[in-house]
Amino acid sequence: MQIINGNRTIKSPSVIHAENIIKTYNQGTENELEILHGINLDIKRGEFVSIVGQSGSGKSTLMNILGLLDRPTSGSYFMNGQDMNAAPDKALARIRNKSIGFVFQNYNLIARTNGISNVELPMLYAGLSPRARKERAIELLHMVGMENRMDHTPDELSGGQKQRVAIARAMANDPDVILADEPTGALDSKTGHMVMDIFHRLHEEEKKTIILITHSNELAAETSRIIHIKDGEIVPA
Amino acid sequence: MIIENLKLALASIKANKMRSFLTMLGIIIGISSVIAIMTVGNSLTKAEEESMSSMGANNIMVGVYTESDTAGEMPTFKEETMQGLVKAYGKRISAIGIDSQVGTGTARSQVSNDGKTTSVTVDGVNSGYFKANNVTTIKGSTFAKGAYENGTNVAIISDLFAEAIFGSVDKAMGQTVEINVDNNYTTYTVVGAYKFENNGTMGTKKSTVFYIPLKTAQNQLHSTDVYGFTAVAKNSDDSSALSADIMSYLQKILNPDNDEDIVIYADSLQSYIEEASKMLGQITIAIAMIAGIALLVGGIGVMNIMTVSITERTREIGTRKALGAENYQIMLQFVTEAIILCLLGGIIGVALGVSLGLLASSGLGYPGTVSMTSVLGSVGFSMAVGLFFGYAPARKAAKMNPIDALRYE
Repeated sequence: MQIINGNRTIKSPSVIHAENIIKTYNQGTENELEILHGINLDIKRGEFVSIVGQSGSGKSTLMNILGLLDRPTSGSYFMNGQDMNAAPDKALARIRNKSIGFVFQNYNLIARTNGISNVELPMLYAGLSPRARKERAIELLHMVGMENRMDHTPDELSGGQKQRVAIARAMANDPDVILADEPTGALDSKTGHMVMDIFHRLHEEEKKTIILITHSNELAAETSRIIHIKDGEIVPA
Repeated sequence: MIIENLKLALASIKANKMRSFLTMLGIIIGISSVIAIMTVGNSLTKAEEESMSSMGANNIMVGVYTESDTAGEMPTFKEETMQGLVKAYGKRISAIGIDSQVGTGTARSQVSNDGKTTSVTVDGVNSGYFKANNVTTIKGSTFAKGAYENGTNVAIISDLFAEAIFGSVDKAMGQTVEINVDNNYTTYTVVGAYKFENNGTMGTKKSTVFYIPLKTAQNQLHSTDVYGFTAVAKNSDDSSALSADIMSYLQKILNPDNDEDIVIYADSLQSYIEEASKMLGQITIAIAMIAGIALLVGGIGVMNIMTVSITERTREIGTRKALGAENYQIMLQFVTEAIILCLLGGIIGVALGVSLGLLASSGLGYPGTVSMTSVLGSVGFSMAVGLFFGYAPARKAAKMNPIDALRYE
């Protein structure tokens, strides 16, 4: 790997390259708390990686930083070779929109808005035409097996169905990486397996880079690489 | 993007119908009261202006009266005074109308003698009267010059009078009518007829007016005293100025000692209209201020509910940001919602205000006239209220930290 200083870009096959990421909350106050103590991480294109840790291990904080929802206190983070520390908030919003697909434990679908509109939302923010949005949304809902319920609002859907819509939404702008934060956490094991099957399909058929954040070793075992995190540090298995 | 925001706003308003309605109430009350008052005011002004202009907007009513009971000392408008006035201001006056009422009596035909009678007011008029009062003959003509000079017994009657006594206007021409005023019987020859016009509250009932030459009336009254007349300005723009000039001229001639008991007036209808619309304008300003307060309170209500709504939807905002919404897009969404909320309130307010205003106008006996300016102005203003009071909550939403928003329970 070659790092070009000053130019703030690196030549790397990695989608995600993090160096010595430190995150400190309440910096400079009595309650100062360092959550991440220097994380080094490299995730290559097409990998299906799981980040495993107990609650309080810092895995959610790491996910927020990887998902560009938060910035590290120090350290560098490159996505597709671009230095994210240097990017202004506006640029981060655009990268979240185009390059990252979020799947949350509690789905976070927009209430009172039907499935198809939820899937269209990232494309709306990306500035796609109504027609293009609709076509793509239908295609994605078909892929997750939700084409028959795309007019349903979230409160008319079961947990598994909501998560399938959420996965379709995460795929909307064909992101470089899907960040799934405990995506089966609120589902029973059968539905959970169905959702995991979708991720496997996305990984194998669509060659998507997927980062699965979970506390479950069983789920993590399904992925090709497991990164253990404990007390804010990456530890060997 | 705009269409999506509109859809979102409507969906959000629909989802909380009761809350949205209560929020809009302040706007509805504010806008509807303005529109109602404006409609009534507009209807009133229009009706008054129409009735006044049918009387002649160029007319100046000139008269004299005394404040105390020192009768006998009261000046009247003498022949030479009138001539002096015409000499001084003749170029700006198109007509001077003088009338002197003989009284009210009973009229009947001398020919048919079938016992048909009708009640009339006998009014002696000069040649300028017809022009000053907008009376035009539909048959025959106004009095000949000789009739005015010699005081002959000729008359101009209304079409209704002609139909009642003679059957038609045509049959009435040249006929003789006998009028009994206080048991003084006088006969007149009909030389013309005018069309009766009911011009509402301001006009006299011309149907019953029986015009004779001024001199004829003065002969019967044994008096040439004139206490008032109507001067018609050539140019309506000049009528206010002309009325002031006439007043000061007559003051100099008739009341050189400035006796406070003697009041000479020269009021133009133009100045009445100006006065009335000025008063109405002041009332409108007062109402607008009250409505402004209602809208302010309504606007604060909108701000409050938007703040609540944004807090409730913190997770949604977080999700939108995670999906790549930029701050301005979030801001636009909530500003749109506030504007739509106020716009709906404004539209309901306009509908309510127009109905109330029209109802009130017809209750007062005026044809309703809706002011489009106030309708459009109100709708625009309600949107401005939404923009103004929705801005701060929307900005708050736009500036939310995405992680905090996503984590919000």
